[in-house]
Amino acid sequence: MKQNKLYDTIFLAPGFIVYILFMIVPVVMCFYYSFTNWDGISTTFRMIGLKNFVTLFRDASFFQVLKVTVIIMVVTSVIYNVLGIILAALLNDKGKLSSISRSAIFIPTVMSAVVVAFIWSYMVQTNGGVINSIILALGGSAIDFYKTPLTTIFVISGIICWNSIGFFVVIYLSTLSTIPQELYEAAKVDGAGWFHRFRHITLPLLAPGITINCILAVAGGLKQYDHVKVITGGGPGGATQTVTLFSVEKAFEYNRRGYSSAAVIVLFIIIVILTVIQLSISKRHEVEY
Amino acid sequence: MKRVLTLLMAVTLLIGAFAGTAFAATQKIVFCVNIQPQLPVEYWQSIADAYMAANPDVEVEIIGQPSSNVDVFQYEKTLLATGQFPDVMVMQNPADFVPSGALLPFTDEELSYLLDPSLGKIDGVQYVANYKKQVIGVFYNMDMFAANDLAVPTTYQEFLDVCEALKAKDILPVSIGIKDGWPQIMLANMLAGTDLLAKNPNWGIERNADLVKFNNPDLVKAMEKYQYICQNYAGDSLPSITYTQMLEQFFTGQAAMLPMGSWVNAEVAKGLQEFEVGWFPMPGDDNANVLSVFVNEGLSISSYTKYPEVCKDFVKFFFSDRQLYSDFLKGEQLFSTTKEAVPYEMIPLRKYIEQAIVGMQEVEGFESMTGDAAFLPGLKDYYTNKLTQNIAIGNDVATELDKFDAEWDIAKDALN
Repeated sequence: MKQNKLYDTIFLAPGFIVYILFMIVPVVMCFYYSFTNWDGISTTFRMIGLKNFVTLFRDASFFQVLKVTVIIMVVTSVIYNVLGIILAALLNDKGKLSSISRSAIFIPTVMSAVVVAFIWSYMVQTNGGVINSIILALGGSAIDFYKTPLTTIFVISGIICWNSIGFFVVIYLSTLSTIPQELYEAAKVDGAGWFHRFRHITLPLLAPGITINCILAVAGGLKQYDHVKVITGGGPGGATQTVTLFSVEKAFEYNRRGYSSAAVIVLFIIIVILTVIQLSISKRHEVEY
Repeated sequence: MKRVLTLLMAVTLLIGAFAGTAFAATQKIVFCVNIQPQLPVEYWQSIADAYMAANPDVEVEIIGQPSSNVDVFQYEKTLLATGQFPDVMVMQNPADFVPSGALLPFTDEELSYLLDPSLGKIDGVQYVANYKKQVIGVFYNMDMFAANDLAVPTTYQEFLDVCEALKAKDILPVSIGIKDGWPQIMLANMLAGTDLLAKNPNWGIERNADLVKFNNPDLVKAMEKYQYICQNYAGDSLPSITYTQMLEQFFTGQAAMLPMGSWVNAEVAKGLQEFEVGWFPMPGDDNANVLSVFVNEGLSISSYTKYPEVCKDFVKFFFSDRQLYSDFLKGEQLFSTTKEAVPYEMIPLRKYIEQAIVGMQEVEGFESMTGDAAFLPGLKDYYTNKLTQNIAIGNDVATELDKFDAEWDIAKDALN
């Protein structure tokens, strides 16, 4: 028994140490720095209490980036889950093209976010972009995808979804595969149509998948960095900047690491609160069979 | 026998181990460089090689930004934060590093080979050996101007008239884009130069002393001019145009003018365009006598270096080796900063610019002012990525400048 515990400790230790070093320690340090005036490069700094948080909540640009972040989070979460469920339901049927379709939807997921963002930023260019070139070739007029900040945010959200939806579909597919076929057969016998079977069997039994996907979508949306960085860099004029971009900018360009840490801590707290709310709501809707 | 062999092996290993330290260069310095298409790592390595050849007891290691989309000046901050600050480095914003005590001061005597060793001093102390000057102006398509009977404008109104005439003929007057964040500041800088800095060359110092505000009539006027040009003469795709596309629009003859720094001469030198390229300074209300220049880049030394004298000698070597320095200047057709002229193969347009700017009033690029006039940490980025972009897309100028003043207050507060 003792030997087993020793083995457990030895085998767990590397992963645990890496986790402590690269996850727990930085998070704790981030909390600590958020109460300091550290500029990120000086060897000395001092504690300034809640000043960074007070400044943050008086900073109009922080609320702007928070708004952009929330829009991206909401749009991507809705697309991931609504389209994800629809695609999973369609792909769950064992048709001839099922495997190809599944692969096609999953392939973008394994591609680097930076690569995808670069490719798409060239696709949606107003001048010489692939999409506009096709539109022009068909006799239409070019679309300026960056016309307003809001359209740009929607374009970015669409690109993010194209890149990642495959992952969410896979989770829904695996959840769908756990639903017993007998339930559908019984419902059919009782005269339930496709919609009623979906509404009263599929959807309730998909609840565990919906829970995990919603949590991942919300957390991922709020942490969004790479796609926005590549596609717009947060521009024009910071109109598409997210909290993470704001934080990196404050840390490395404004030399305000303490302030930057405070912004990240606020984001961390928002994610924790939303996750707890989601879990409590989802638990109420999960059904056992 | 075995013992003897073992002993011999041990002695050999011991000698081998110590040989590395005994015969290696005794003084090693790390030089952080800005790797660019015109100045690839091979160029910087050639400086290191030449210095090591002249100083066999010194080893110079070249490092640069890990990727082309990483700003080397931000990378240097990361190096400083992680205790890997290089001994010598290219430097653009010394004011960002000075509060942390990371830079070693130069004396005027140590920089006596420079034309103006005092340029960009912070609180009377020099931290950068400025290695280049770049001028900002408007490159234009001479053939297009000639075909449309247009003369080089010498007042702002004439500039607008030229734009209007080109627009009437369905020609894009000015190539500007804000997608990359920085190219649009060239036009904004020139207008801030003519309408603000030319009137008060100490304006930057006064702003840092909180004696003046960004939201002042002169800067409002300059930014309204900038906005008017962006909104009326830069086409509908302004938000999605990158620097590369700006160049493409101009060099393929789609746009008539390109407000940009003198590094565009390097593009002109490639000779890919099918027309003659000309240059003029952005005119002010009454004349075209104000020239915006960038003098905000050079070499700095870390205050943590083990070998300050070697580093200073290395910096001097960079300027005193005529061949290496002229190669550096030639890449972007730059202007030298040394007392002695440094000849290199110039294209005719570069020679023309050198003659055209004689006698003009020089002001520093607005967001790149140096020394005590330099923007507070972060404000250069704000000007580039927020202020000039928001004004370009049509936001109210006075409101945006008020926001800039608010950012200044936050940045100042962060320093205290």
